[in-house]
Amino acid sequence: MVERREIEHLGDLVRIELKDPEKFIKQVEEILNYFDKLDNVQFDSDQTLRKEISMENLRDDIHEPFDNYRKLIAELKKDQNNYTRAPKMI
Amino acid sequence: MNLGISAKEFISQVREGSLSVEEFVAKTLDRINQVEGKVHAFITVDKNAIDKAKELDKKIKSKEKVGKCFGLPISVKDNICTAGIRTTCASKMLENFVPPYDATVISKLKSEDAIIIGKVNLDEFAMGSTTEHSYFGPSKNPWNPEYVPGGSSGGSGVSVSALECIVSLGSDTGGSVRSPASFCSVVGLKPTYGLVSRYGLVSYANSIEQIGPIARRVEDIAFILNIIAGKDEHDNTTLDNKNEDYLTGLDSGISGRRIGVISQMIAEGIDDDVFSATNNAIEKLQSLGAECIPVSLDAVEYSVAAYYTIAAAEASSNLARYDNLRYGFDFGLEGYEFNAYVSKVRSNFGQEVTRRMLLGAFVLSAGYYGKYYLKAQKARSMIKSQIDKAFKQVDLLISPTMPILPFKIGEKINDPLKLYLSDINTITANLSGIPAISVPFAFSKSGLPIGIQLLANSLEEKKLLQAAYALQSITRLPEISI
Amino acid sequence: MTKIGLEVHCQLTKLESKLFCKCKTNYRTLPPNSNICTICTGLPGSLPMLNRKAVEKATMISLALNCKIPEKISFFRKNYFYPDLPKNFQITQYNAYGPTSIGSDGKIGIEGKEIRIRRIQLEEDPGRLIYEGSSEKTMVTLVDYNRAGTPLVEIVTEPDFETPKQVRIFLNVLADLVENIGISDPYLEGALRVDANISMGEGNRVEIKNVGSFRDVEKALHFEITRQTSLIERNIPVQAETRHWDDARRITVSSRSKEEEQDYRYLPEADIPIIVMNRDSIEYMKKQMPESIVARRERYIQKYDISPQVADVLSSDRFYSDLFEKSHNEKNAKEVANIITTDLMGFADTREKKMELKITAQHVSDLANSIVNNKLTRNSAKIALQEMVKDGKPLADVVAKLDLGHVSDMSSIEKIIDEVFQDELQAVSEAKQNPDTINYLVGKVMRKTKGKADPTVTLDIIRKKLSTQE
Repeated sequence: MVERREIEHLGDLVRIELKDPEKFIKQVEEILNYFDKLDNVQFDSDQTLRKEISMENLRDDIHEPFDNYRKLIAELKKDQNNYTRAPKMI
Repeated sequence: MNLGISAKEFISQVREGSLSVEEFVAKTLDRINQVEGKVHAFITVDKNAIDKAKELDKKIKSKEKVGKCFGLPISVKDNICTAGIRTTCASKMLENFVPPYDATVISKLKSEDAIIIGKVNLDEFAMGSTTEHSYFGPSKNPWNPEYVPGGSSGGSGVSVSALECIVSLGSDTGGSVRSPASFCSVVGLKPTYGLVSRYGLVSYANSIEQIGPIARRVEDIAFILNIIAGKDEHDNTTLDNKNEDYLTGLDSGISGRRIGVISQMIAEGIDDDVFSATNNAIEKLQSLGAECIPVSLDAVEYSVAAYYTIAAAEASSNLARYDNLRYGFDFGLEGYEFNAYVSKVRSNFGQEVTRRMLLGAFVLSAGYYGKYYLKAQKARSMIKSQIDKAFKQVDLLISPTMPILPFKIGEKINDPLKLYLSDINTITANLSGIPAISVPFAFSKSGLPIGIQLLANSLEEKKLLQAAYALQSITRLPEISI
Repeated sequence: MTKIGLEVHCQLTKLESKLFCKCKTNYRTLPPNSNICTICTGLPGSLPMLNRKAVEKATMISLALNCKIPEKISFFRKNYFYPDLPKNFQITQYNAYGPTSIGSDGKIGIEGKEIRIRRIQLEEDPGRLIYEGSSEKTMVTLVDYNRAGTPLVEIVTEPDFETPKQVRIFLNVLADLVENIGISDPYLEGALRVDANISMGEGNRVEIKNVGSFRDVEKALHFEITRQTSLIERNIPVQAETRHWDDARRITVSSRSKEEEQDYRYLPEADIPIIVMNRDSIEYMKKQMPESIVARRERYIQKYDISPQVADVLSSDRFYSDLFEKSHNEKNAKEVANIITTDLMGFADTREKKMELKITAQHVSDLANSIVNNKLTRNSAKIALQEMVKDGKPLADVVAKLDLGHVSDMSSIEKIIDEVFQDELQAVSEAKQNPDTINYLVGKVMRKTKGKADPTVTLDIIRKKLSTQE
């Protein structure tokens, strides 16, 4: 049973203000119940679907300024000294 | 001028001088003006397209070297970054975002002189299967505008089928290229995970998604794939496809090929017209020399739960960056504390995105990782292992792309789980990373498109495209009337 | 029983580029938001590109701290929201689902105590925050992403430290280590940051964060021990919490209750493949690494017959042991070691003084050779050194200027001894009975010759004279 409090907590975790948490309760619960199907998955394998690479395939340690810095800084929200402004965290 | 020509035809006509790029692009822009009111495929139309077309005509006239695309007009799903062109992901959160860089696929196409006609509509951040979850309003199926065009790459499917461009780039995470392809009666390919660079694709579920082409003809898909596929230094997850040429031998046919019919995807519950269309397709393929045998992939049962668990989890992390501080939309921060500001601006996400973020937060939260996320990854491995086993017996797999027909706009929007379940045929390819293509095959009695899906093992796009081409060769489809 | 554990963040300042992009790793003098790209600002569609050298450097520190290096390493995302995090997650490493970080289960000896290293992980630094306007009361923070994405190595120890002094020694050794294996400049502002956690007896664990310089860590721990002790004495339970170091007031202040553990919702970083660690590369790195402190110490004792105490002191200071390496040869090694540890270290013991030191390997070896070849007494050498430290003049000049030449010819010494015998009639007669008083006479001769007389020769002659006298 998913409660309003849990939905609000989840909203807090992902920083989304929920105007009407009640609206999500039924659907989230239904979907989570459907996910419970995964409990029945029995499969053990060392094989991972993730790609594996060796260190040689990694990037060299070379400095290169971004080729379109002008466009990048133009698009960034900033003040007159090029700092980005953010509300303070209490 | 026939706007319905294939890329192959377009290029050959421009090359031989019987078609001017400028004229074609101008006609395309007219067409867009003409139909957009009915189908709403585009979020942004690039007015510079006509200038690029003029430049290209000049180059061609003066016999200068011109890229393979010769001015081919393409539309790009609005979650793929295009430098200087607004890229919104159909979200308020990126309403004003203009990327300072091109996605790798865009750089590649531009260097081959493709022309970007505009950015097309999608479900917000690619989360959805109907394009109804767009901040800019839904796109509509050109075969019947009261019906959904599929999603999340609805704008891609629509713009190609409504002749607003020749080819489109979409993205496919759970079927988002194949579903609109099927619903709009066009071809759509999801390549092997890692075949096409994701640099510049705005992340939703980064261990699963791929950029994929949508076109009216299989040969056009192969043509575009040749340009966009291959290892990319900007994306460590890309694979080396050894410069494979997907066009040569496209017409080799499928004689002697063994095709597995996925029993779980042609079972009870699918639409009758879809069922009979699928059987029809199987017969046709057999008549071309293929051997079709039933194949069972019982792991498919877990695929929807596994997919949505993983996708939601990754989405909740990938979308965390949208706090409106570096880019986004206008909303002053005066008077707010940090967390309050961030939560407030993020309340502008649509319902579907919000729902998936909540689910994603849940499955990753302390204590639940093992129960959901880890199990989902296990299911994924299980699916891949069954796929590998199947491909020891057969060369390809087949199923209907969608178990249902296109439905009316608004019909399923309040039943997310039901919608998730309609992805059951497409999700298997995403979870296992294998390539899959939807080929338009038939129409229902009610005049709605039905697509057939073919799948091959990892990096076997060549085999896949040959089979799709063969199926296309014995299919006759009506012309779009809109 | 006091238990202290550390979490040390060390920037890999020796790298040219950031951990996941090609922007510069050294951001300190750059104008705000000038050292950025799509990746370190977390722009939509950007993907991290792992720096191979960062993996190599992190491997080296893991090897230097005797950690196990896994066969495969991978990265995770730590999800939380903060103004300095461009993606609102940090790409880091995480061992809860298996040892996949660059190092684990290591150890290092600090003055006889073994400190276990729980894990070492590679991760990215966030951006920097400053406050708009001058006062802390302002509601807006300014963010500079120049630092975002700078490579960090996080070193986590078990709570094996028992005293703040041990912590200080460990940090000095660590700073020395990272500098000398070429991975970081630990004295750059912000390059080495330390969080500590401390519990006393059965009490709760307190975390101390935001200690500005790692020299302040010892002070913060001392304060915290005092604070906790006083609570314990009054039977007040110590709260489990996070405290930060207030540099101005020199105290720790409560930040937030540790009960509100953040839920970081870790998940694998799918944009970075699993990296298979090349065993051959690791062996190669092991060989490339500069000799460890322990190995140096052993070599000094075995090869040069240097005493263990001197070897200890010399080997644990990289600046001076490097000086030793450059100045010594087979013959003068012991003397060089003595000069450095007994005399030179006293002149320059801080990093700043070492940097300004005008003494070179040439000075030291000249000095040592003079002593070994009996050209200078140890005393004279001390005086010469004092002079050379001032302006780095070569030994020959100093010897000439101060007239420090060795007086070892018998007749000159005899003459002076006779003079001293005249002046110290009482001492002479005492010396005949009490051999210890001979040293007093030797001392007088040394003073008269301004230390230039060879003490051995002097002693010899005095003894002879005393025994022949009657």
